Amino acid sequence: MRELKIRKPALPHDQQPIVLAGMNARALREQRFGWALVFPSVFIILALILYPVVYNIYLSFFEFKLTGDNIFVGLRNYLGVITDSEFHLAVRATLVYVVFSTVGTTLLGLGVALVMNKKFPLRSFVRSLILLPYVAPVISVVFSWQFIFDPVNGIFMDVFHNKLGLFAERFSLIGSPDTAIWVAILFGIWKNFPFTYLMILSRLQAIDETLYEAAEVDGASGWQKFKSITLPEVYFVVSALILLRVIWNFNKFEEVYLLTSNVKVLSVYTYLKAFTGTMDLGQGSTLAVLQFVILIGFILFYVKKVLKW
Amino acid sequence: MVKKKNPLKSFGFFLLVLAIVAFSIFPFVQMLSLSLKYQWDWGNPSLIPRKINLEAYKELLNIGQDLKNVPESVLTLLEETPELTSQQRAAILAKYQSTGEVFPFLRYFGNSLLLSLSAALFSVCLAIFGAYSFSRLRYRGRSVIQRGVLFVYMFGGILLLIPLYRLFASMGLLSTPTGTFFGLLVVYMVQTLPVSLYMLGNYFRTVPFSLEEAAMLEGASRMGIIMKIIIPLSASAIATVYIYSFMIAWNEYLFASVFLKNYKMLYTLPIGLKTLFVSKNAIWDRIMSASMLTAVPVMALFMSIQNKITGGMAAGGVKE
Repeated sequence: MRELKIRKPALPHDQQPIVLAGMNARALREQRFGWALVFPSVFIILALILYPVVYNIYLSFFEFKLTGDNIFVGLRNYLGVITDSEFHLAVRATLVYVVFSTVGTTLLGLGVALVMNKKFPLRSFVRSLILLPYVAPVISVVFSWQFIFDPVNGIFMDVFHNKLGLFAERFSLIGSPDTAIWVAILFGIWKNFPFTYLMILSRLQAIDETLYEAAEVDGASGWQKFKSITLPEVYFVVSALILLRVIWNFNKFEEVYLLTSNVKVLSVYTYLKAFTGTMDLGQGSTLAVLQFVILIGFILFYVKKVLKW
Repeated sequence: MVKKKNPLKSFGFFLLVLAIVAFSIFPFVQMLSLSLKYQWDWGNPSLIPRKINLEAYKELLNIGQDLKNVPESVLTLLEETPELTSQQRAAILAKYQSTGEVFPFLRYFGNSLLLSLSAALFSVCLAIFGAYSFSRLRYRGRSVIQRGVLFVYMFGGILLLIPLYRLFASMGLLSTPTGTFFGLLVVYMVQTLPVSLYMLGNYFRTVPFSLEEAAMLEGASRMGIIMKIIIPLSASAIATVYIYSFMIAWNEYLFASVFLKNYKMLYTLPIGLKTLFVSKNAIWDRIMSASMLTAVPVMALFMSIQNKITGGMAAGGVKE
């Protein structure tokens, strides 16, 4: 097969080096204008995202109620959380959820993108149909999923118990934490694969057709074409999508909590700790800090070992 | 290039497409089917209701509900006393309505709509200027901002929830309904702002700079360029980002459930539905029709501009 050469495009305007010395009046004006335009966004993000994050770290060393004074307790919140066996379970559930839902979403997204890249009748209609899971609000689809797995009336038990006889009796798959997490993972895959598929598809469509034609002239098989042309072309977008999916699924709350109360991933555990029962806001903020630390660790591991950046 | 078609292969491909579509839309079909079924029909695994039941939809949309719960005796009494003013009549009837049992779908719908529309609007307006700034203009600190926006992706809602709740509460914002509504609006705007900035920034880079140069030679100002070149050329991307932000706000449950706990009047659809589901009024047809009515506006909105959206998303990757 011929070697593929990739042209290096000239640096676009916005990436050309900034010349600071001898800056002319226009550049100075541009600089000032640039800051003025971006300032509102930056200010809002600093005030309402970065500051709260820092404030949350501060709060994690205090015992506090919604209003009133903060009482400094040192590391007591941290000790309380780390020695809590429910916390360990939550970490494990989160890791299982993140790994399997990310792998599933990515593989299904890639597969569907490859299928949708072929021409067939009604393609554009089919393409928009399969975006629906991603578009629909979480709250509007969780109840339908719960009904599907409902032990009495649900279609899942009807098929697997009555028709196929795989299970000896009807039971609630969402009812116990052991099985509910797999329903949550399947739900996560169903909900999010369209995004992955769409992003990969738009990259697939940008691949130069002549590459495939040249490969066919050289007698390459379908698998060889996939491995030598498609995969390298989508490699970057897929790894970026995986990274994003890991981050998003790690912080996922709605898609788990609204589907089932039996899967306590970290976000759900923190929410329950801080806003139900005794409303332990101090331990809640500690949990949020620890969750963030674990996520950063996960990302560093992924970037170093998996992406080898 | 002409290819021979293997009929077995095309049939397999057809099955594959069918399986993908079935997997994607089955829960929606199930939802629609159940929302139209009577209770005695729930155990029937067939997706086609034996008899169509529209009661749940009527109840949610408040169609023909005026006299439903009013006892016969009161109705005759009202008929026999024509001297009552219409206000008095309404007051008597009101006693029998909204005993707190019926799910005030339209109110929740309105709350959700107002919040999502305005949060997305503010977010996109800010993002247009911010994204133009860091994707086109050159200044010190620009790359920090650009990367910072990406960094914000890592903060989940739960990390911001406790500190923001505490901050807003100590500012006294959460003690009035208006303040709470405003607080939630600000939260939604902030949550969608990084995504908007990032997506628009990516798109603006694909707009050819030569167009701007030409306009500048003719004496257009930077602001004029944004208004007359960037915004019209990026209309589809801006629409995409707007819808995306709208959907984030429309779906949001976490902050709404904490902030609005004490203000039932302000409930958005997600908390309203969740509350309905755990209440004693939870019956499948009501829940499913409420689900349908929550999903349909977003899906219709999406479908109507779907070509533009996917086109806009794809264009980001295709154009140079």
